[in-house]
Amino acid sequence: MSLDINTKKAKKNAWRISKERGMGASRIRIPGGYCDADILGLVSEIAKEYGNGYVHLTTRQGFEIEGIHLEDMEAVNAKLQPIIEKSGVNQNPEDKDKGYTASGTRNVSACIGNNVCPFANYNTSKLARRIDKEIFPNDLHFKVACTGCSNDCAKVRMHDFGIIGMTKPEYDPSRCVSCNACIKGCNSLSVGALSMENYKIVRNTEKCIGCGVCITKCPTRAWTRSKQKYYKLTIMGRTGKKNPRLGQDFLIWADEDSIVKIIKNTYAFVEEYISPDAPARKEHIGYIIDRVGFEKFKEYALKDVELLPETKMNTNVYWDGIHFS
Amino acid sequence: MGYELSRSQMDEIFSKLSSHYDVYAPVLKKGEGTFSDIDVIRYDRVHSLDEIEWEKRSDYSFKEVLFPVNETLFYFTEDETTVPKAPEKGRIIFLRSCDIHAVKRLDQIYLKNGFEDFYYARIREKTLFFLMGCPGDCDGGFCASMGTNTTNDYDMYIKLAGDKVYTDIKNPQFTQCFDKFNKADVAPDFVSENKEKVTLPTNLPKDVIDNPIWKDYGSRCITCGRCNFACPTCTCFSMQDIFYKDNENAGERRRVWASCQVDGYTDIAGGHNFRDDKGSRMRFKVMHKIYDFEKRFGYSMCVGCGRCDTICPEYISYKNIVNRLADEYNKKEGK
Amino acid sequence: MKNEYLPFLSEIKEVIKHTDLEYTFRMTYAGDVKPGQFFEISIPKFGEAPISVSGIADGLVDFTIRRVGKVTDEVFENYVGDKLFIRGPYGNGFDIDNYRNKELVIIGGGTGVSPMRGVIDHFAKHPDEAISTTLIAGFKSPEDVLFKADFEEWKKTINVIKTVDNAPEGYDGPVGMVTKYIPDLKFKNPADAVFICVGPPVMIKFTIMEIQKLGIRDEQIWTSYERKMCCGLGKCGHCKMDDKYVCLDGPVFNYTEAKEIFD
Repeated sequence: MSLDINTKKAKKNAWRISKERGMGASRIRIPGGYCDADILGLVSEIAKEYGNGYVHLTTRQGFEIEGIHLEDMEAVNAKLQPIIEKSGVNQNPEDKDKGYTASGTRNVSACIGNNVCPFANYNTSKLARRIDKEIFPNDLHFKVACTGCSNDCAKVRMHDFGIIGMTKPEYDPSRCVSCNACIKGCNSLSVGALSMENYKIVRNTEKCIGCGVCITKCPTRAWTRSKQKYYKLTIMGRTGKKNPRLGQDFLIWADEDSIVKIIKNTYAFVEEYISPDAPARKEHIGYIIDRVGFEKFKEYALKDVELLPETKMNTNVYWDGIHFS
Repeated sequence: MGYELSRSQMDEIFSKLSSHYDVYAPVLKKGEGTFSDIDVIRYDRVHSLDEIEWEKRSDYSFKEVLFPVNETLFYFTEDETTVPKAPEKGRIIFLRSCDIHAVKRLDQIYLKNGFEDFYYARIREKTLFFLMGCPGDCDGGFCASMGTNTTNDYDMYIKLAGDKVYTDIKNPQFTQCFDKFNKADVAPDFVSENKEKVTLPTNLPKDVIDNPIWKDYGSRCITCGRCNFACPTCTCFSMQDIFYKDNENAGERRRVWASCQVDGYTDIAGGHNFRDDKGSRMRFKVMHKIYDFEKRFGYSMCVGCGRCDTICPEYISYKNIVNRLADEYNKKEGK
Repeated sequence: MKNEYLPFLSEIKEVIKHTDLEYTFRMTYAGDVKPGQFFEISIPKFGEAPISVSGIADGLVDFTIRRVGKVTDEVFENYVGDKLFIRGPYGNGFDIDNYRNKELVIIGGGTGVSPMRGVIDHFAKHPDEAISTTLIAGFKSPEDVLFKADFEEWKKTINVIKTVDNAPEGYDGPVGMVTKYIPDLKFKNPADAVFICVGPPVMIKFTIMEIQKLGIRDEQIWTSYERKMCCGLGKCGHCKMDDKYVCLDGPVFNYTEAKEIFD
């Protein structure tokens, strides 16, 4: 039987066309990599019924159900409906039972975050789900990741937008016992921003990266976290064949709302300036900025954004990385 | 004498009290715990009964009200010293039975061990203790094992029960403000049994200092001192002289909480450190709580509040150390 | 109520340099003091340090301070006529009565000689009050010897063995640890012998082992502990060993008590 499949449409519908003729794989996005365990059962069911019984855990925290015959796409799409609903992923209403509406904007990934991790400064998967809700479905190729602290376990600096959790350490000298635990912690685990003067701690605010190590080390609650949650936004990191590069700091001590807005605003920038020759309308945002300039990007990205007074913005950002072309 | 009154009547009395006294109670501090979005319960000034955390045991004890973490002893110039004024108002501390027993231990050191402590005494003599009941066994507490689960030693007991409030007045100075309310039989809520049980070792032999248990637990310790800082009976402090930056001849002398687990505790001039290894620090702490305090003062120091176990980031259980010692030595004794 | 934390001013009357590191400060103090007691001395720009009394005269006390640690450096920049805040005396000190009419042996290592200096002085000035008095003092090297002038005086009335651990070639005097000289001690009646030994913990340990070999009983031996006494008042906890607060119950302990204390 000869297959007649619109592969472009299938890819947009979050299907992978396998190298093996007639075979495909269904790609399931789990924003923040955090899901109801029932989803695992549903994935397992599809894998056993339609696939080869194997599932790949993707680098972006999704599932890829392997070994599905392309003629089963429709049946599998119907089976994906409860997964899409349970994982809280947006879907156009007309696509009900028809799988994912888009695949361009990638799953928003996250480290384990402050649900569990002592270092994390915020609930990463919750923010990942919020961002996913804001930007998906969309065909433009955006990669966004959230990580709880400057350790960057989620490798957000390899993303177009990386969100790194920060906290402003607040110090109550009247609770400090001069035990040095924060200084030792900052020196060994972080940037060495603390010193002691007259038995009290001095924080070098220029150096401090808001990682929160001092707070976790403090045995008396002299150090506590700011009520306001802060984030560092790194931009335009990427892998790839031409110029892999690490994302650079754009905003430091920024708030969640501003970051979400900036990411959303960037879609308009890409719509406007993406190369008409981009294959499958895929061009990394960093390359677009290289072409049209950082000022232009800022103009779009910061539209209607009201940064906190304490937010520090790098007015110009340069990337280096490895150049192959 | 016990009374039953309405919540609004109690609120009125409380607001009067807080104009005459500085009232301290356990307060849940949202997000101020060690980790992100984790709370901590510690003592702070309160102005209404609603601010008080009634259910859970505080992570840090009441002791900071009587013995501040940092306390300026005096200001000095080259040839003069000035003692800061005592707090004008008296203090009321809301606390539970185990902590009331801890007050006795603080008094023992600060008022009776050698000299009387000027700074502790001047706050202590103006402090009243309001008992909070224990609605049930708290996380890791072993007050019943230590005999600190009940007390009669309070000025007032307060129990909130929806719209009603029950009080038991021991201090006659408060009888008058409650006399207009209905008398009631009010017995404080005490815990009679804990899930955690502790047996104190008796007749510890001298060679307990060589017991491998100290090295065992010491090797797990990160010498952070949380156990000491949370403990309601730890009283150690260090002296600090602060010299003002703009006039180095003037400054102030403070005392600041110290921990026998934290580096520097036994350092002397010349750099010698008497308890350098973590095992001997662990031994020093545990033996003080269960052995040498009793040898000196006739009763055990630990009140079984369980805070040290709950706060230890390395999951070192003081309680388990004590039980293991009892297990080892009390059995030997029985043979 | 008396505020025991408040220091009072004391004038530096004289500064005696023993070595590059060790000095004795003769300071004013009008009150009763016993050898072996200590004061908390406020060192400008640093803080308090517990320093034992190394000499007592009318209206004066001596403090011998080794220039180590951040606390004790600053005082060396002060001069005669300056005043320091001090408070004390604290601790029990040596009770001279325990050593009267006895065959007294005083053994000291390094700065350990300081707290005993008052005792040595007493029996050097009143040699008749003891059956005999012998001082064995050990220092690291000839350059580290403290109280050089005193040794010349003491020699006149009591037996003095001043030894050094190491000496350059041609050094004229005893060389070796203090323990080397203990086996040769002779007593008319060992039951009348009393020992005081103060020094580093290791020295104390081996010294007492040697003393015990002579058949001396524990109650005939006294020692003094050096600990971090922050408050001197039995409050701060730093000097506690077992159930003893060195600042209140010591620093001088009879060995019957000292041997039971575990730290």
